[in-house]
Order: sequence, then C-alpha cells, then structure tokens
Amino acid sequence: MLRIAGHLFMALSAVVLALPIVVVAASALNSGRTMLFPPEDPTLDRLWEFFVTETVWTTALLNSMIIAVGAAVLAVLLAWPLAYVLWSSGSKASKTLAALGSMPFALPPIVFGVGLGFFWAFLGALGTIAAGIISHGILFLALPLVTISIGLQSIDRANIEAAATMGATEAMIFRTVILPQTLPYTISGFFFALVLSFNEFIVMFFVSASAYATVTLQIFNSLRNGYTPTMAVGAITFITVSVLVFSAVARWGDLPRLMGADQSKT
Amino acid sequence: MTTIDDTAFAAPARSRPNWASGTNLILMAIGAVLIVFCIVPFGLVIAISFGQKIEGAAWEWAFTFENYQRFFVGAEWPDTVTFLYLQRLGYALWYAVIASVLAVATALPFTYLMTRLSRAAQARWLVFLLASLSLSEVFIVMGWDILLSNRSGLPALFKATGLTAWLKDVGWFDVLREWGLANPRNVKFKPSQFATVLTMSYLVWPYAVILLYPALSRLDTSLIEAARTMGARPSTVARTVILPSVRLPVIGSTFLLFVFLLGTYVAITVFANPDKHTTAVSIYQSVRGASLNAPFGATQAVILLITAAVFLGLGQALNRASGGAR
Repeated sequence: MLRIAGHLFMALSAVVLALPIVVVAASALNSGRTMLFPPEDPTLDRLWEFFVTETVWTTALLNSMIIAVGAAVLAVLLAWPLAYVLWSSGSKASKTLAALGSMPFALPPIVFGVGLGFFWAFLGALGTIAAGIISHGILFLALPLVTISIGLQSIDRANIEAAATMGATEAMIFRTVILPQTLPYTISGFFFALVLSFNEFIVMFFVSASAYATVTLQIFNSLRNGYTPTMAVGAITFITVSVLVFSAVARWGDLPRLMGADQSKT
Repeated sequence: MTTIDDTAFAAPARSRPNWASGTNLILMAIGAVLIVFCIVPFGLVIAISFGQKIEGAAWEWAFTFENYQRFFVGAEWPDTVTFLYLQRLGYALWYAVIASVLAVATALPFTYLMTRLSRAAQARWLVFLLASLSLSEVFIVMGWDILLSNRSGLPALFKATGLTAWLKDVGWFDVLREWGLANPRNVKFKPSQFATVLTMSYLVWPYAVILLYPALSRLDTSLIEAARTMGARPSTVARTVILPSVRLPVIGSTFLLFVFLLGTYVAITVFANPDKHTTAVSIYQSVRGASLNAPFGATQAVILLITAAVFLGLGQALNRASGGAR
C-alpha cells in the first residue's frame, strides 16, 4: 500500500516536472503564428526557421554557443589550479580563494549582474562578447571547482606515493596518475558550466546591455510581443542538449557519486 | 588569462625545492583574478549606491544617504512617508519563503524514495532532474505561462472537461473568485500569487532534490529497519528516525533556495500583479528600465545583498547551534 503510494508520488512528481517542458515542445509544432496547446496542424517548419532561415535566431544561437563554450573553458582553466592547490596543500589561503570563487554563484545573481554591468561599463567593454564570456566564466567557476575537487579526493594517495618511490617526477605523476583519474570529473565540470551558461539569463541581461542577444535573451525580448512557435524550438534544443550532456556524464562518469551519494553502495 | 593557466600547469612540473613558491605564484595569480572579478563588481555596487543621479539619465560619484532614505521612507521624507520599496522587499521575502518551503517539503519525500532505488535508476532520475534544473528560467516561465494562460492550457481544460461547471455547482468557484483565481466565467491563474509561487517553487525543485540527495543517500538504513522490526509504523519511523537525521540538510537547503529565489526576476514580471512586484524588478527598472537611476538601483541591490547575506549567515548559525546541541 505504502509502496504503491510512493510510486504514485514519484510518478506525479515526474509528470509535474515534465509538464511545462512537454507543453513548450508540443507548441513548437504549431503551423500558425500563435502558440496553441494542443498544437494546430502540426508541422516541423519551425525547426527549419530556428536553425536556418531566421537570422535573429541563428545569430542568437551562435552567440549562446560562443559564450557557453568560452565560459566553460575559462571556468575549468581557473578552477583546475585552484582545486589542485586546495587538494595538495589545503592551505588557508587556497580555502579563502575557493570560497571567494564560489561567492558569485551563491548570492542572488541579479546583484552580481548589476555589479558586472557597472564593472564592464567602467572598462568600456559593456556589450562585448568577451565581457559575456568572462562574466559567465567567473559566475560558473564554482561548478568545475566542486567536480574537480571531488575527482581529486577520489585519487588513492598510495598510487602517488608508489609512483614517487619508483622515481617518477612530479610532472610524470601529474600526467600519468592525477590527470587521467580526474579527467571524467573535469569534463563533467566543463559540461555543467556549459549547460548552465547556455541557460543563464539575468547576468547576461545586464552584461550584454542589449548590444547582442543570446537565445535566452532573445526569448525574453519576444515575451513582450507574445510567444511564437519558433521560440519553442529553442526550448526543445536546450532541453535536448541538456539531456544528452547529462546522459553522457552519467554514462562515462559516476553521476550519483558526483551528486554526493554514498560511495559504499553500488 | 593565458599567464594563469601556464603557471598552473607548469607548476607541478617543477622540482621539489621550487614547489612551495610555485604554489604561491598560482595562488597569487588566481587570487588577483578572483579579487578583480568577484570583489570589484560587488564593491562597485556598494560604492555607486551612495552616488547621485543627474537629470538626463546619468549619475555622479557622491557620498549621500539619499538613496537609502528613499528606500526606507521615500524621497519626500519627512513631508510624506512611503514604504513602497520596503513593501517590494517584503514581497520578495514572502514569495521566496513560500516557494522554498514548498519545494523542500515536496522534494524531501521524493528524494527519500529516489535514494531507495537502484544505482542505475538513480542515475536516470538524476539526468532528468539535472536537465530540468539547468533549463532556463525563461523557458520554465514560458511553459507555465502557456499552461496557465486563459486561452489555452489549464483554464481551457477546466472548461472543456466540465470542471468549471462542477466547481460552480458545489460553490467552490466563489471561493476561488475571492482568492482572485477566477473571473465570472472561468478559472484564471494569471496574474496571481498562486502562479508566481508555483513557478518559483518549480524553478528550485530540482535544486532541492540535488541538495537533499547526499544526506538522504547516506542515511543509515539499519536504523530504519530496526525501528520497523520493532513494530514502528512507517509514519512513526519518518517522524522519529528519518526527519531528525536530515534536519540540518533540510534547514540548510531551505535557506539556500530562499536566498536564490530572492532575486527571481522573470517569473515575477510575468506572473505577479504590478502592485505586487519585488525588489529585483525594481532594481531592473532603476538600472536598465524606465526610471534610469543607477545609484538607486545599486542601493536596492545592496539591500538585497545584505538581506541575502543575513539569511545565509542565519542558516549557518542555526546549523551550528543545532549541530552543537546534539
């Protein structure tokens, strides 16, 4: 009885969770200009529009991709040495820096967005793509920092000592022991940052200063004129990318462990 | 940026005597980057919050408390007093409290059930949750907007299935009208506080699961089994064994999600009535929107920041206090 109730509750949660996503996805099939659910006269023309013919959307998609990839690379490059020093020395200074790097992610993003808006305006870089990349790189630094730290902690220190006893230099140990063992975690961190940057709205809203639009910004701009089915294609694209990325992480990495599950249970 | 990662990857390659100085070099380089990009933006917000507006959409450096005065008692004080901006902060707190409590309260049983599944099933659920977690606020609002709007979605469904008529028959329709969730003809969900809180709660629900997941997956199952063998009812086990052992993560996650929700922007602009808008909307209006008063926008951002910091600190203190009591 209780077991059935439990299954029902989980099923209900899944339905509610999926509901808005399904509705948006289905609305993308509308052939007309208005969003109706259920869709009228289903067609796939909107996909073609989103990816190929409508320059507003193709430009926005390109901007989104440049910023997301750039920000994720930057976040990993900053997080790696920080996580490494944190792991190898555990010094107070490195802990302070790690806390500092996680701060923008923990506080309300709108405040960081406003601050970065002022910051880039002073440097005269407000509304440049580079400013967008750096802003997101800093904002999402916390994600690779966490995943890489988890990865480093999973290394058996006996491996390193064994390698050292056998005469391996620090560089060799790094290349042959540390790097391969942390690679899946580094990649996970990269993708977490990538996907979140792709979907981020409010910081980019202030940093872009309407000079360019990413897909999320473009959708927000269109909110005022009402939805079009073409926008919904954007939503489908995003959810597909996210599911693929996280499935890959689950397939090649240990997702439950990354999320902090108990190690002993398998 | 290249200088930083060059030193970072070169450092371990150095021989041992240089190791310490190499580490310091990396730390200093990253420290410099983090101070510039993490501290300076927040510092600018604080500095500008004391600035002055010049007519014509510009502002200048100054040291005045006018903006703060305006936030708490209005610009015309002491002649007239208005609590408009305090009220907006109040709404921000109000929505965030309800939405975060609702999210954690429903995510807790879900997460518990999820951790009882096989590792592979858990991984599948996590993929689904993470995909929904990373989905932009903009899309989520769009989805709920279609679902709740009067022409399509739930109100149309209510009408088509005869649920509206049934609600009218049993008299609950009048209750819904009193709550502002219906017009004379049919149910209507937007604009309403219900839609606002529902969407905000949906927004952080996957976060709530992810935050509770570590604690619940490390829960000692032998305790639960022991209690069950001794004849405790499932509800008793939940109350006396499971809840006390996850109390700290539950409180901690609620505070984190609450702080996260304080700055919600898109959901509020779409679902809340303009007279019930929050500080976040007000910040946007001052910095980028119609009123163009950057210093006042910064002031509101500072107050939101302080509010967030206070609640984060409170959550930690509460954690420490109850951690010490045990």
